[in-house]
Amino acid sequence: MSALAAVRKTLHLNRENAIGYGLLIPSIIIFAVFTFWPFLYTVYLSFFDWNMISPEKEFVGIRNYMEVLGDPRTYQIFGNTFLYIVILLAINCVVPYIFAFVIDIVLKRWNGFYKSALFLPAFISLVVGSILFTWILNPVSGPLAIVFGWIGLEIPNWTKSEGWVILVLSLITSWKVFGYNFILLYASINGISREIIESARLDNVPLWRIFFQIILPMSSATGIYVFILTIVQSLQYVFTPVKVVTQGGPDYASSNLIYHAYHEAFVVYRTGHSATLSIITMALFLILLFLYFKFVDRGIYYEN
Amino acid sequence: MKINRTVEITWHVIFMATVIVLVFPIIYAVGMSFTPLEDAYNNVLNIIPLHPTLENYITFFDTLPVVKVTMNTFIIASVATVFKVLTSFLAAYAFVYFQFKGKEVLYFLLISTIFIPFTVTMIPNYLIVSDLGLLDSVWGVILPQLADAIGIFLITQSMRSIPISLIEVARLDNLGHGRIMKDIVLPLVRPAITSVGIWFFISSWNEFVWPVLILKTTENYTLPLALQMYISSEGGTNFTVAMAVSVITMIIPLLLYLTFQKYIIGTFTSSGIK
Repeated sequence: MSALAAVRKTLHLNRENAIGYGLLIPSIIIFAVFTFWPFLYTVYLSFFDWNMISPEKEFVGIRNYMEVLGDPRTYQIFGNTFLYIVILLAINCVVPYIFAFVIDIVLKRWNGFYKSALFLPAFISLVVGSILFTWILNPVSGPLAIVFGWIGLEIPNWTKSEGWVILVLSLITSWKVFGYNFILLYASINGISREIIESARLDNVPLWRIFFQIILPMSSATGIYVFILTIVQSLQYVFTPVKVVTQGGPDYASSNLIYHAYHEAFVVYRTGHSATLSIITMALFLILLFLYFKFVDRGIYYEN
Repeated sequence: MKINRTVEITWHVIFMATVIVLVFPIIYAVGMSFTPLEDAYNNVLNIIPLHPTLENYITFFDTLPVVKVTMNTFIIASVATVFKVLTSFLAAYAFVYFQFKGKEVLYFLLISTIFIPFTVTMIPNYLIVSDLGLLDSVWGVILPQLADAIGIFLITQSMRSIPISLIEVARLDNLGHGRIMKDIVLPLVRPAITSVGIWFFISSWNEFVWPVLILKTTENYTLPLALQMYISSEGGTNFTVAMAVSVITMIIPLLLYLTFQKYIIGTFTSSGIK
């Protein structure tokens, strides 16, 4: 049997299936070249000392990992990243879940308007959002500072204060992310059979119990997806306000793993450190996902 | 089957407040973009300009090749969209209507790329673009964005809702895949394709992270990059000009969204993640 015939046999490659593979070729090539190969190359780069310009890459084994994990700065960045994730999850996963439930079950009027209006910022550049909110939340002369002034409140100088800066940059990011997550969750909740909800309502089951005992378990697939998406994608969205407003400052107080990896690669040209940080980020995402699935599995088991 | 009236009104208040927080900045930007800078500092709370002016727009047009910058943004968004829709459509068709070995694994592999952090592919892609001599060019921005996992996912979902018997009958009539694609599947998934396409176009129009790495000179900038220039100059002295640039940056996405919102919300809600 020739090699070609062997390949054909293992893949069950007849004329019909060959067309199937053929249709996938453009996507596969693009993902292979611009996603999978780069991933492997980043793993490779994490074992080398390089500045992106010099023709020589020096193999350093796991030294980049030792350096990155031995640097107190890295732990500050981990802490910041964790704080970003917690705030982003609260605003873009928990709140939209409740909103999606309320708009589907409680509110009977203006639903269409609410959906359009809440989804709207998802279509606008986050650079626009960053600039708008930087002005609106300007602690000296911004409109909110003036309104706050009337009732004797002050806006902290958030671009310069640790903690506050992360909160405000997360809020700016949420402005864009909130509506998208809301629509996905609404779709899932709206797809739940009305009969179950109606009969619970006829039995006078309180709304919060309907939410926890019917809606949450029955929309958990989307729930998990939005949870993961919030961690992975909003953390990347945060890059924009960080880059535009603070450049990671003051003194790395608003940097996170994504921005720090960018900073190492394209500001100080330490590709080894950048690649190492990216691989660590990816590993953390994988651990988070794993823990979450474990937790959810247990939750679903308990439900039954 | 009654909702407590107070509960309902409370929620209406909460929803209205959220809508105001989300939408107010946009209206505010439009107002400020027509306000002279002095007025902006003196009457911060005035949304409607007291002395309407076009000077902010004129400043923007004087300091940057606005037409070129808008064209760059438009070219990147359109080319990326056409390719993403095409590759996603073909891939979705393969995933839905063929039974070849490794199909599930491939699907999982492609969809899982949604969860790969951007930084993991950033340096190698930069090097590829640089080696091809495409740094500081719109084509360098476009190149890594010719396929899209979310597109494959959404179009696959939409195709799965077409009754398979329809395709089987067509196959029995000896209709080729090209004809089936064009005459049966495409018309049925057109709403999904339209909204996915609009979503791609707008995302790409608004994109910041990747273009900021690739584009270096102002005349090759896209609108979001041009906008960033007006805030980098610390202190926000060009604030009202920045508002004018913001308005120009958002106008196309806003018009597209307002025109097609029924379609878009429909696609995102009906294909769901199940």
